Amino acid sequence: MATIEFLLTPFIACLLLILINVYFGIHVIKREIIFIDIALAQIAALGSAVAMVVFVSLHPEIAHDHEHHNVFSYLFSLAFITMAALIFTFLKHSKITIPLEAIIGITYAIATTGTVIVLDKGAGGDIHVHDMLIGSILWISWHQVTKLFIIVLLVGLFHLIFRHKFRQISDRSSPDTMTVKNPYLWDFLFYLTFGLVVIEAVNVAGILTIFAFLILPASVSILLSRDWKRRLLTGWGIGLFVVVTGLYLSLKMDVPCSPVIIVLLAAVLTVTLLAYRLSGKKRSKAI
Amino acid sequence: MHENIVFLAPPVLSCIISAGILGYYGNHILSRGIIFIDIAVAQVAALGTMIGLLLGYAEESMNVQLISYVFTILVLLLFSLIRVRKQRLPREAIIGIFYCIALGMALLLAEKIPGGSNFITKTITGNILWVTWGKVLHCTILFAVIGTVLFIFEKRIRNLTLNQDRAGEKPLSERWPDLLFYVTFGIVIVKTVPIQGIFLVFILLIAPAAIAGLLVSSWQKRIFWSWIIGAAGSVMGISLSFMLNISNGPAIVCILGLSTLIIAFLKLLMKKRPAKEKL
Repeated sequence: MATIEFLLTPFIACLLLILINVYFGIHVIKREIIFIDIALAQIAALGSAVAMVVFVSLHPEIAHDHEHHNVFSYLFSLAFITMAALIFTFLKHSKITIPLEAIIGITYAIATTGTVIVLDKGAGGDIHVHDMLIGSILWISWHQVTKLFIIVLLVGLFHLIFRHKFRQISDRSSPDTMTVKNPYLWDFLFYLTFGLVVIEAVNVAGILTIFAFLILPASVSILLSRDWKRRLLTGWGIGLFVVVTGLYLSLKMDVPCSPVIIVLLAAVLTVTLLAYRLSGKKRSKAI
Repeated sequence: MHENIVFLAPPVLSCIISAGILGYYGNHILSRGIIFIDIAVAQVAALGTMIGLLLGYAEESMNVQLISYVFTILVLLLFSLIRVRKQRLPREAIIGIFYCIALGMALLLAEKIPGGSNFITKTITGNILWVTWGKVLHCTILFAVIGTVLFIFEKRIRNLTLNQDRAGEKPLSERWPDLLFYVTFGIVIVKTVPIQGIFLVFILLIAPAAIAGLLVSSWQKRIFWSWIIGAAGSVMGISLSFMLNISNGPAIVCILGLSTLIIAFLKLLMKKRPAKEKL
């Protein structure tokens, strides 16, 4: 009974993450901006690193006041994410002859190395790359789950209400051929809402876990089905299955749960790819 | 002053040499739209090294390097062969999947190797200041050989790069330049990443090619300018890092990256005006 109680918070958190990330994953693959989540996470990290340095230099006497510090660093992360969203929105233009993914990659590199420089110069704190990558979802508190729930609910509702607009801009990659009014505004809102989710999700589960939740189930669902509704349902189904098995296995075998979930997701993807290839061959033979 | 120049000569030279070959690959990679392939390949190579360590070989031994090469080349072969005729899943997504799996497995293995997570941090940063003349010479010879091979087959590789969408229709026997491209690329990445770190290699690949792509259109000019821009960025970055006393890799990355973003925005502004006048 105690184990069930212990696993309840990570389980709910995983479900929330799957729910929102599969949806965004399908968008992200459609837009061919696969690595945007890692880039945004790193930009948020740069924001909180800058916040830390500014905070310490402003109030050296209360440097360990975590309550204030958290709000402060969240605001900085938010500001940096907004800036990145603006950059991505403006540089997706037919006049810019390089793919948007290249811009995303460059921002990612700047953000990562920028964080290293800032931390080097300022507080001298070392970055725990390992923790940043896989997080510690098993130790999530009810408070964090509530925060995650609120963000997922708000962003989810927003996307549900305006789903047609978001779908249209993702289905057609160039904003110049759009029927939606103000494609730039919707692009910006897409990046911004995604950034909000990423800040919260990466705090809870780490960059790599979120990346896996985003890309792997969505890839499987894109291979298996064609329309949006079915893709979402397939992605969620796979996610649910993997989260339940992953948490169970990590408890039984006493290994960290995030890598197990990632490896399981990869296994599901491999099986699907093989099945897809085989059935594809059969189909072409039949023709 | 003289001592500084002697001290900084090998890292600067190694950056200039790598900028050449990476600039060439960068142009192909941008045209193919497989931006993050270098980070994925580096991660796979690191996974290979970790498996070698787990098998009990020493870190810089032949065996470990061999395992790392075998891993990298296998994955790149797999990648160049995966072509669904109607590509529903973009190739960049496949790269993302490879990256994710390799890093996930590396993290699982890191628990088993003493100092494993340190190893993951090390692949990310690298340190060009400690490069020796011997290593620079070694890289120069290797890159010269690879460069010559690429130069001989350049036309065929470029053909495949520019016709990426239809490459899936071609029979396997006509796609061997693709294999050549990916395999040599894997070797270059495995060689450069331990010296310069993932991010410096990544930015030397993407940023100069992106700037060149924005400014000039002919293929030869783009490759030529990529090298110049990459080399200039490296020299500026290293001298800046020396003056401001910050680490040199990050300084180069920030200089090249920020200039790409600035040039892109400038281009946006410059091109908009004549378009508006027409309306």
